[in-house]
Amino acid sequence: MKHVLIIDDATTVRMYHRQILSEAGFAVDESINGVEALEKALTKRYDLFVVDVNMPKMDGYRFLRELRSNADVHQAPAVMVSTEAEAKDRDAAWAAGANYYMTKPTKPGALTRVAHLLTGEAQ
Amino acid sequence: MPIMKPKTREPSEAADAPNGQLSFAELVEGLTSGDHAVRLGAVRSLGIQGGTPAIDVLCQHLVIDSDRSTRDVIAVELARLGGEAVVEGLMPLLRSDDAALRNIAIDILKELPTDVAPRMEALLDDPDPDVRIFLVNVLEALRHPSVEDWLVAVITMDTNVNVVGTALDLLNEVGSTSSVPALRAAIARFPDEPFVTFSAGNALRRIGSAA
Repeated sequence: MKHVLIIDDATTVRMYHRQILSEAGFAVDESINGVEALEKALTKRYDLFVVDVNMPKMDGYRFLRELRSNADVHQAPAVMVSTEAEAKDRDAAWAAGANYYMTKPTKPGALTRVAHLLTGEAQ
Repeated sequence: MPIMKPKTREPSEAADAPNGQLSFAELVEGLTSGDHAVRLGAVRSLGIQGGTPAIDVLCQHLVIDSDRSTRDVIAVELARLGGEAVVEGLMPLLRSDDAALRNIAIDILKELPTDVAPRMEALLDDPDPDVRIFLVNVLEALRHPSVEDWLVAVITMDTNVNVVGTALDLLNEVGSTSSVPALRAAIARFPDEPFVTFSAGNALRRIGSAA
């Protein structure tokens, strides 16, 4: 079973993404900001990160930069999920180390497809 | 960054303030000093001076100075000063592409419920949906009796699904039976958005009402 870490400060967004990915067969953990997510990523191997942009303490861009520069963390793919849909926001996500960019609110089918593709579990 | 806002500055603290004899212009110049201690001293002295010019300068300097400790000290001073000028000075920062800067502005605004609350209805009419999302995030910490009414207004009238989604997230915590009609209406208003159905439905279950 592939392991996904959902990183979002909004409780209902975490619950929503957890429900979608659990139903798709993933094991899901949650973090409420980038700091907590980095701590989890240092102690557990994840196959995918689903990362919000705007979070207190450590935003999604900074989390990805820290993640990508840390040799002690398994470098799993990351989906950045944001309310912002402009090209500059996507560019910032790529520059920070994201592998895919989705705009909120996500649709269950789209998130499931991307998660399967990025974890090598394409169906 | 949770801001520990001192309610007032002790008289002895003001007397001991660095740069106490410097003019406003000299303090503004001090903000750009290469010496970190001089910059921090200028920030504190401007905080002691207070008034709209000092507040404007401190808000603008938040944008320019990316040093985290300097930004933290500016945030503490602005939160302590409070008032309409601080709220006005922080609003442009919510439009910044710098996520860390937006977070600082949000954290300061959360410390100013009496200054933000009277202007919240007008602020929530901002044309930029991202700014409205940040303002809903500010509501989370305001602990004001009108918070639920403002959230109900957002999920009833705002046309942006992500603004509505952010308000729904907070209504999952603070919503009462008075939110039920608006929660049901939100589900009907966004029939093609599974997240709205999920979040509003969750709030309705928590309140004890069927979707």
